[in-house]
Amino acid sequence: MSGVAPSSGIGSRVVRALPPLVLLGVLAVLPLFNLGANQVKVLFLTFTWITASVGWNILGGFTGQVSFGFAVFYGLGAYTTAVAINHGVSPYVTYPLAAGVAAAASLVVGMPTFRLRGPYFAIATIGVSEAVRIIMTNLEFTGGSSGYRITEPVPFRQAEHYYTALALAAIAVGISMVVRHSRFGLGLRAVRDDQEAAADSGVNPYTFKLAAHALAAALTGAAGGVFARYAAFIDPDGVFGFPRSVGILLMPVIGGVNTIWGPVIGGGVYGVIEEELTARFPQVHLLLYGVLVMLIILFEPGGVMGLLARLRRRMVALRRAAQWRHS
Amino acid sequence: MAALLTVEELTKYFSGLAALDRVSFAIGEGQIVGLIGPNGAGKTTLFSIIAGSEPPTSGKITFEGRDFTRVKPFHAVHEGIARTHQIAKPFRSMTVRENVEVGLRFGRGSGTRNMGKEAMDILELVGIPSLAEMSAATLPVGDLKRLELARTLAARPRLLLCDEVCAGLTESEMQSILGLLRRIQSLGTTIIYVEHNMRAILSTCHHVIVLNFGKKLAEGPPEKMQNDPAVIEAYIGKKTAA
Repeated sequence: MSGVAPSSGIGSRVVRALPPLVLLGVLAVLPLFNLGANQVKVLFLTFTWITASVGWNILGGFTGQVSFGFAVFYGLGAYTTAVAINHGVSPYVTYPLAAGVAAAASLVVGMPTFRLRGPYFAIATIGVSEAVRIIMTNLEFTGGSSGYRITEPVPFRQAEHYYTALALAAIAVGISMVVRHSRFGLGLRAVRDDQEAAADSGVNPYTFKLAAHALAAALTGAAGGVFARYAAFIDPDGVFGFPRSVGILLMPVIGGVNTIWGPVIGGGVYGVIEEELTARFPQVHLLLYGVLVMLIILFEPGGVMGLLARLRRRMVALRRAAQWRHS
Repeated sequence: MAALLTVEELTKYFSGLAALDRVSFAIGEGQIVGLIGPNGAGKTTLFSIIAGSEPPTSGKITFEGRDFTRVKPFHAVHEGIARTHQIAKPFRSMTVRENVEVGLRFGRGSGTRNMGKEAMDILELVGIPSLAEMSAATLPVGDLKRLELARTLAARPRLLLCDEVCAGLTESEMQSILGLLRRIQSLGTTIIYVEHNMRAILSTCHHVIVLNFGKKLAEGPPEKMQNDPAVIEAYIGKKTAA
């Protein structure tokens, strides 16, 4: 058996960084090729989805704390940006603001629930997200259930939105990579694997979970803000709705939780098919997702990334067998 | 000599049942202290409380002259108290080396420069350097125990709490672990060592504390404890006048 060499060193790092950079370059020049407004819109939405998906994965994947309530952060981000823009704040200042509000909200959710063991956090996230939706439905200064409109004194430029969303998604992936290979990321993995052993090794599981939650919420909030400015109109059922939470959870599951690229792939798949599915099957599209999740959990819990790893193993085995036959 | 660890009147109730009942002792720096007693005597509970995994009902723990009674486990590690678990708890998604790195990066001496090299040194010390890149989830029990010890040592404890590190091991594996404990002690770490095997205790410990039903039954040099009538009674039972 040949030993598996740890893939480190400058050379392999450059090789590994190449495909994402090429992808980023392609996406950056893509709008120059006369794409239709609708195609640009789908890509824009996909980038915001990817951002939320990558964010969720920092908590749900890296840290193993499953949340059904990320619509709270998406919605708070959306409303923060919307209200701030209407008060004359520059859009690019509102995104960090949206991220900050979402992160602060994540502490409110996390502080009481992360002290509990077991599934309490997951259960609490459902309750909190419904509560926030109902509060927003009745909050008068944002128009309650009739929604909230953003009016900007500048003309709508789709390309600007496209690049904002692309940049945000790239930042999210960058953060996810840095976290993964950092001391912080190692602590999160320890918490995910065994909380008690993590604490006995010097990791404070509580603060690590809070930090992961805040970072995940911040990215999701920023995504909500970028979406809100594009949509120019948001309402509580849309941005705070349970389907939104399910969507954000679904993407990393489709792509492969606890990986760097799984949530990106999942976000890409979801972003592209979401519009189509919602348009064609408005009544049952959530049901289709339910079936999809069951299939993934039953047959490939690792999602697309798990499937790819399995294919690669099979290829290697086939090649070995071929070599063996030739020798 | 000032004591490194002092335990005073330590008591722990589990819903009315005393797992520990006013246990007191002091441990000097640089010793290997054996902690023995029948099953259910309170040994693991005592460890959990010293390491901060559980709060005591009453009593006091002092470490290096400071109050450690209700310290959190991660604070205890940062200050130099680290424990191994009776049933090894590896980080299953990580390699053996990464497991050790968790100890290195979050333990008492966190923030070393050459993580990879230090991790390998520790794996060398416990005798599993060849397993460095193996997934921790695939290790057999003996190697898991060594990994548990390696990760705990990586935190650079001043006081090491070893909970039955030899249970389930073969004689030769046990001898090499005992040799390792002596080596760790000679490098300046104080050790409290829970063990059932009397021979292991006799060959390794300077001092022995005997627990029975949550109470301290006796303490003293190992040879003396071995012949103490109360200790023999706790383990084997009372002679009946027939």
